[in-house]
Amino acid sequence: MKNRILILALSTLLLGGIAVGYVITRPGGALSGTADPSEVALRGEGRVLALFNGRLGTARRDGGDQKISAIRCDRSYAAAGTIGCLRPSEENWGQYQLVVLNGQFQETGKPLDVPGLANRLRVSNSGRMVSWTVFVSGEDYTSDVMSTRTGILDTKSGEAIPSLEVFAATINGMPHKAVDDNYWGITFAGDDNRFYVTMFAGGTRYLMEGDLAARTVRNLKSNVECPSLAPDQRRIAFKEAIDGNPKKGWRLSVLELATMKVTHLAETRSVDDQPAWLDNGTVAYNVQRSDGINETYGVPADGSGHPVKLVEGGNSPAPYGL
Amino acid sequence: MRLPNRVLSAGLVGVLTLTTLVAADITAAAATATFTPTADTYVADNAPTSNFGTAGAVGVDASEVNRTFLKFTVSGVSGTVTSAKLRLHTDTVAGSESDSGGTWKLMSNTGWSETGVTWNNQPAIDGATLGSIGAVAVNTWYEIDVTSQITGNGTFSIGGTSTSTNGADFDSRETGATAPQLVVSTDVQSGDPVWIGAGDIADSGSQDTNTANLVSGIAGTVWTTGDNVYPNGTASEFNTYYNPTWGAFKNRTRPVPGNHDYNTSGYYGYYGYFGAAAGTAGQGYYSYDLGNWHIVALNSEISTTASSAQATWLTSDLAGTTKPCIAAYWHKPRFTSGSTHGNNTAIGPLVQILYNNHADVVVTGHNHQYERFNLLNPSGAVDTTGGIRHFVVGTGGAGLYPFGTIQPGSQVRNNNSFGALKFTLHANSYDWNFLPAAGSSFTDSGTTNCH
Repeated sequence: MKNRILILALSTLLLGGIAVGYVITRPGGALSGTADPSEVALRGEGRVLALFNGRLGTARRDGGDQKISAIRCDRSYAAAGTIGCLRPSEENWGQYQLVVLNGQFQETGKPLDVPGLANRLRVSNSGRMVSWTVFVSGEDYTSDVMSTRTGILDTKSGEAIPSLEVFAATINGMPHKAVDDNYWGITFAGDDNRFYVTMFAGGTRYLMEGDLAARTVRNLKSNVECPSLAPDQRRIAFKEAIDGNPKKGWRLSVLELATMKVTHLAETRSVDDQPAWLDNGTVAYNVQRSDGINETYGVPADGSGHPVKLVEGGNSPAPYGL
Repeated sequence: MRLPNRVLSAGLVGVLTLTTLVAADITAAAATATFTPTADTYVADNAPTSNFGTAGAVGVDASEVNRTFLKFTVSGVSGTVTSAKLRLHTDTVAGSESDSGGTWKLMSNTGWSETGVTWNNQPAIDGATLGSIGAVAVNTWYEIDVTSQITGNGTFSIGGTSTSTNGADFDSRETGATAPQLVVSTDVQSGDPVWIGAGDIADSGSQDTNTANLVSGIAGTVWTTGDNVYPNGTASEFNTYYNPTWGAFKNRTRPVPGNHDYNTSGYYGYYGYFGAAAGTAGQGYYSYDLGNWHIVALNSEISTTASSAQATWLTSDLAGTTKPCIAAYWHKPRFTSGSTHGNNTAIGPLVQILYNNHADVVVTGHNHQYERFNLLNPSGAVDTTGGIRHFVVGTGGAGLYPFGTIQPGSQVRNNNSFGALKFTLHANSYDWNFLPAAGSSFTDSGTTNCH
């Protein structure tokens, strides 16, 4: 089947006459016909927003029916008709803009300059809060010279907080004087005020709970990175540095907030990603092959089953259009 | 005890060969050499003081116990060993067949004498296992793949034993045409220059030891694509990290500097360590010839604008060469799919000069990974007529990096293997061959004609 020019996935929802640009469809991802129950559950209903070699697109949860736009992003996420996109500068490598799009892939508001290398991006469940993380020096979380910057955009008010470093932090109830603190990987709760984020300070990686209105963060637990709050608001998927040492890799895990109990998920490969919940039972994440091709996998959130490849060629997954 | 009884008859039909037989079978892209033992013999536990060095057969047996010792001297092999096989031929005499052809291992002792070894003074069979031979019939060749252990020139002792009480008997070197053989194939036609290297090399980790061991075994000129040492390029770091590994072949190394080499003011560590091999101190660009090739070392850590001294020098240098093929190398890649460092557009003016002068190959590093591009014009578009093939070879030892958006023209990528990229510089073409270091497995190879 040759590539065809199609109208976007959500064409049925579009107002007539709105141009949405050039979209490529390609075949693939047909269900293999296996009766494995975890696989069937993982593949489920609905679509996934993802990046396909740096182009924003969508696919079915089983990876089929890929629709890829010409929009450039190096990190993306979507919720409730708001799409966040960290768009690389064509001229200056390492310079990014935060672009907010609506469900029809049209830009809304003014792009926001976020200098640094795109790393994490989230949209709150209501679609109102967009948060991002960039590397401003160093290249990874294991580097001695790593430095990150994490910010929040309120799409309703237009107010942007360029860096969480201005928030008042407490560790074990004691005020924490920020010196070389780094924040990364925000996830918002349903009230668009409470949020969770990783803070690295004094050699420790903390899961912090934040209060946007009060401009405060406090620690909940150590060795929890890149939190992602479940739709049920009771669990956090995250990456846990193996033996507390990121150089050994990361184990995809789920933390139950009421008990602080950690469950390792069935994915045993190192996952360096902020996981995404496709539904209350499924955690999705990116695994990059050694040839640089990205693949989105899903795994049951309760530690059972096994990983299943969902979107071949896709990374930065988010549930879409549910 | 069957074997000693047949020694005489086998010895009579055998042809006595006292010198090493070397048969070179040279094809367009590969060379194969067949080595016969410089010594072979066996020992028997029921004749503990006897030596069988001039016998026409050797054997392995569990009762009576027979053990075989073979010694090969591999010499004149250049390039990388792509295949090595130990071949043994069973005697034509009934009784040489067995349900086991024995287990064959390397030995640390290479000093034993064919006419001196007895059961009582036999050398230990104490090295890596090469392999085992299953059931053997009479008058048949058997072979074991020993590529992993025979990697280049040297003297190799091999010992054979068997757990079968039904022994196997093989022809010894005295038989001539059916003597044991070590058949060594390499990927290179002897004579053309080899140019090998990597970038992003020596830090406190151990991977640069593995890549240095790889490069040590391959003759030729060594290039580096910068970030020779981490983190700051001090003299102390060169002595502590680089010298114990890649320093082993410093006398055939032509480096370029990277940003980490340039982290110390004056760059005295880099220029002090490499001396004249790095060009004029503070400039770092220079050129040399290998066979039909003109090689240009450039410095991405200083000005690379069209009006820079380096650009002026490059234009003049390329105007002065009559070589039909041109390669250039520096640190920061003009084209890369790595997510850690992007395309270095600042080096564009030098790429344009190289393109204008019909250069063939560009090699860089900076992103810690391997990437091979198609033939590209200075804008990065595929140009199979006049384009330059770009490589990123940041696989010298420092921790590997992820990929980002894959760039147009990118043909092959890998970021889970350390290793070196070897070029064989033919008169009007080049072969490339990515060689994995110990513990890594990725390979990539190909050939392209010069413009």
